[in-house]
Amino acid sequence: MAKPQELLEDNPGKTLLLLANEAIARGVLEAGVRLVALYPGTPSSEIGNNLTVMAPHIPNFYFEFSTNEKVALEVAGAAAIAGVRSMMVCKGPGLNVAADPFFSLAYVGVRAGMIIIVADDPSMWSSQNENDSRYYALMGNMPMMEPSDPIEAKSMLLEAYKYSEMFELPVLFRTTTRVNHTRAPVTFGRIPTLPQKVEFEKEPFRFVPIPSVARTRHPWLLKQVEKAREVSETSPLNFTEGEGELGIITCGVSYNYVRESLVEMDIQAEILKLGITHPIPEKKIIAFLCKHKRVVIVEELEPFIETHTRRLAQLHDVSVEILGKEQGYFSRVGEYSPRIVMEALCRIINCNTPINWEEIDDRARKIPEIPPRPPLLCAGCPHRATYYAIRAATRGKAIYPSDIGCYTLSIAPPLETADILFDMGSSITTACGLSEVTDQDVVATIGDSTFFASGLPGIVDAVYNQHRICLVVLDNRTTAMTGHQPHPGTGITGMQKKVQALDIEEVCKGLGVKYVKTVYPFESIAGLVGEVREMVKWARDNHSPAVLVSKEPCALLTAADRRREGIVLPKYYVESETCNACKRCLNRLSCPAMYMNPETEKAVIDETLCNLCGTCIAVCPQGAIKREAE
Amino acid sequence: MVRNNSNTISIAISGVGGQGVLTLAEILAKTALAEGLNVRVGEIHGMAQRGGHVVCTIRIGDGAKGPVIDAGTADLLVGFEPVETLREIHLIKKNGCVVMSSHVQYPVAVSMGQAEYPTHESILRSIGEFTDRVIEFDAMDIALKSGSSYALNMVMFGAILGTGLVPISKDSALRAIRESFPKRFEKINIDAAETGFSTVKSCL
Repeated sequence: MAKPQELLEDNPGKTLLLLANEAIARGVLEAGVRLVALYPGTPSSEIGNNLTVMAPHIPNFYFEFSTNEKVALEVAGAAAIAGVRSMMVCKGPGLNVAADPFFSLAYVGVRAGMIIIVADDPSMWSSQNENDSRYYALMGNMPMMEPSDPIEAKSMLLEAYKYSEMFELPVLFRTTTRVNHTRAPVTFGRIPTLPQKVEFEKEPFRFVPIPSVARTRHPWLLKQVEKAREVSETSPLNFTEGEGELGIITCGVSYNYVRESLVEMDIQAEILKLGITHPIPEKKIIAFLCKHKRVVIVEELEPFIETHTRRLAQLHDVSVEILGKEQGYFSRVGEYSPRIVMEALCRIINCNTPINWEEIDDRARKIPEIPPRPPLLCAGCPHRATYYAIRAATRGKAIYPSDIGCYTLSIAPPLETADILFDMGSSITTACGLSEVTDQDVVATIGDSTFFASGLPGIVDAVYNQHRICLVVLDNRTTAMTGHQPHPGTGITGMQKKVQALDIEEVCKGLGVKYVKTVYPFESIAGLVGEVREMVKWARDNHSPAVLVSKEPCALLTAADRRREGIVLPKYYVESETCNACKRCLNRLSCPAMYMNPETEKAVIDETLCNLCGTCIAVCPQGAIKREAE
Repeated sequence: MVRNNSNTISIAISGVGGQGVLTLAEILAKTALAEGLNVRVGEIHGMAQRGGHVVCTIRIGDGAKGPVIDAGTADLLVGFEPVETLREIHLIKKNGCVVMSSHVQYPVAVSMGQAEYPTHESILRSIGEFTDRVIEFDAMDIALKSGSSYALNMVMFGAILGTGLVPISKDSALRAIRESFPKRFEKINIDAAETGFSTVKSCL
């Protein structure tokens, strides 16, 4: 619904309701950024989704969906070294992928402003961990800023570019899900004209960190961080507000919860809100500690600011009570809310919470059990057919290494085809490890985008070391989970240019895989089961990797195409007289478009939800599932 | 005693991924902004969208700083489906208003016989433990009669305004609908919103 075209308007003063991710995409324009590279990852995905639509309309601007985060950081880092403003965007685990260039970039520094946006995910709404990426700033000596809402996401971004250029260092711009996915009114600023291409000025003894160079760069880096700290001391991004005996230090989205809590509780406190969280303004914090007898630290996840604050109090011999995670007032797990802040503050100042939450929790506990509704493969998802076939062919007895994408949802019954997962690409490599130490068959699954992002080194490993693994590439022609971004197999770039797509079957053959076949999951379930069996047998007999590419576009894309073009196709239905209520379709497929009529106990297809894949026809032993005539 | 920033209204919308919960939240908030009000929307994307339970929050008014609505603080809970309404009922504040569509969408666990869908009476009884102000109607029926199941969220949009709790005029809401969707869906969406509005109005 958010219209990327609106983000292009040269209309300073206009106010729009924007997600922080949209505000950042607008900020790219207002900051005069010349190049952005990223691999999509929720909760940061909408930054790229907007930029890819905007990119062809911005003169001299380049945007790409890079192969993975490491690639993206290197592409963007080089641009900033050449002398244009650049940006790399990733989710928390994505920065782990890009960790290698991250540290080098800080050593060599940049000639023009560069921002690395990292979106952490407290509560893990769509991630495999809730790492606190702020420690990267500390370990890599890279300045860091943390906006608290969509308004700051843009205004602070503009400041971050200036800060980056002041010290010739990239700035880590750390957001969290509740910032990225909050909408708020954001006001547009001016759009500058972008520079044409620049001339790369050689300076190898800065930009090639061989040991002798790196040895000079490390002290330089530490000196730059101290200079950055001086600016952090006086920056309006680190400010105090309110008055009161109690002091509260906070940053990011927690700042909003603190403000709402003080109003709800009707108490006074002085807040020190940190926008620059590395290098922290030490003098400012010490002065704040000296002013208060008790200071509460409110920050999600790890005690990052809290530890710094304790260090400073000890170093400067300030007698102050610092209250936070160390005493158990706040948790290191999950995201916060005003309630969490209020409950902690009430314990600290010894008063009742303004709302009797215990009573509400008690009442909520008394509600009779509510059936769960976890996310699952969509109706019409081609992965359902493929997993059904994999499971049927191996009778559920193989090991099923999984990977990062929608298809990880196959962990749920009845498909149950996800047994082990670390990170992007690990389906193939964990399969390699497992195949060497067990006698079980190993059938790994990986998505098409993940295949290109991090799968290739695993395939090389399997081919060269002759691991007897089976791999099914679930090729749904898009990066589905994060919102349908293109990848190297789709034939479209971040600049919306049509290019030659990389063919997964050919890539596997090129890497030396001897057994590669492309199959189409909706053609025939029985055929698919046979193909999986054959692959498993071949891998075992030949002690080498075998690959099936299961190709069928994401059901959400085909459904949207049909809707856009006004195409109405014949519907599927269960012939009630023929259905003998065996429930095989319901129990084997777990399709959200099928349910049981509570009175007859027979299966029903909800035509408003059905995406017309027809997989259920093959599963029904009675032949009760039919399709309307054309 | 709840002080609750009296100038702020908190609305939680609960439903199933794919029902248009996020779209409704955005359009409602855009309309509020067009009326000159401060607004915050809280959404969850990604994994949460794939047919699972979805909850979205909208906070309108000067006191809205963050997007989150805690237990016992929602003025209005909008449920696209009975158990999804029940799942978030703890959010409603004392005497808050619940608007719920009675059309059932069975979770897969129920279809597979691993869980039971509670009876309608028991759902209403549980909701009644939290508030007496419950408005219930079949929004899917209205959507289908308006021309498409996809108009379900616009039925609920009309229903929200029908409660009179949200400081947004029906005219600006209808304008927002016209501006947000392709022309060919306009009649369906407007009909859906109008019927949702009048249905709830008649329940008050």
